Amino acid sequence: MAPESSVHRSRIWYARLLRLYPTQFRERFGEAMEQTFADTCRQHGKGDAERVGFLIWVFAETFTAIIREHVTRLRRNGMRDDIRVLKTVRYAAIAAAVLLVTGIVILMVLARGKTGDDGDIAGVVAPALFLTCVSGVVAVVATVRQKRAQRRIVRP
Amino acid sequence: MYPRRIYCAFVVKSADSPLTPAVLHILLALAHEERHGYGIMKQVESDSAGKVRMGPGTLYGSLGRMLEAGLIRESDKRVDREMDDERRIYYAISDLGRTTLAAELQRYRDVLTVARRSPRARDFAHGT
Repeated sequence: MAPESSVHRSRIWYARLLRLYPTQFRERFGEAMEQTFADTCRQHGKGDAERVGFLIWVFAETFTAIIREHVTRLRRNGMRDDIRVLKTVRYAAIAAAVLLVTGIVILMVLARGKTGDDGDIAGVVAPALFLTCVSGVVAVVATVRQKRAQRRIVRP
Repeated sequence: MYPRRIYCAFVVKSADSPLTPAVLHILLALAHEERHGYGIMKQVESDSAGKVRMGPGTLYGSLGRMLEAGLIRESDKRVDREMDDERRIYYAISDLGRTTLAAELQRYRDVLTVARRSPRARDFAHGT
């Protein structure tokens, strides 16, 4: 067992290292990590060399984990931005499709019973239908990609 | 193969890839008993006969992601009377965690079955 004073000193330094974690993570696990570190320190204290080796390993391991945690957070934030954009695109595409369909229906109602140039609405309806299809496809693609991104980010 | 929820990009690499070794070992350590962080570390070390050494950084990073993915949950129960402390957090495996662990172990069994059937894999097993 390592002497308690040595464990206490190492714990103080470890607590300082933990400050490098993202705030949210530190608030949630900081104390538990410190405690686990102290427990582990007590078990690895047979000799000075062993203790120093153990401390170097734990500090390096935790430092690597801190970097990983920051990278993960950055990636998640990036994904959240993507999700926001995809959501906007989806709603815009749905709105465009609804407006186009409404326009086509109104045009068809107005053109009903008319003949000649007044009744020929094919030149307007055909591109409008095409745009409606495009909007529909965009909405579906955005929804699928949004869902995928949400699944990847997983419930944090 | 697994329920979709567990496919967290940060727990596993992609939808078809296996659980990370840390996550698998933690699930195994929690399979029969609720444990606190240090208890999990000790159990993982003993389960793997000292081959897997997990530091607090890896342990709590994995625990955080597993909590988010619903594989484990925090527990109020105090099991370790010797080391008990009000602030010590215990973790327990969830139903989703059990399903995931069972699916992962089945995957390992399937791989082993394939390896045992293949003469080439047998050669590898004998180091030739």
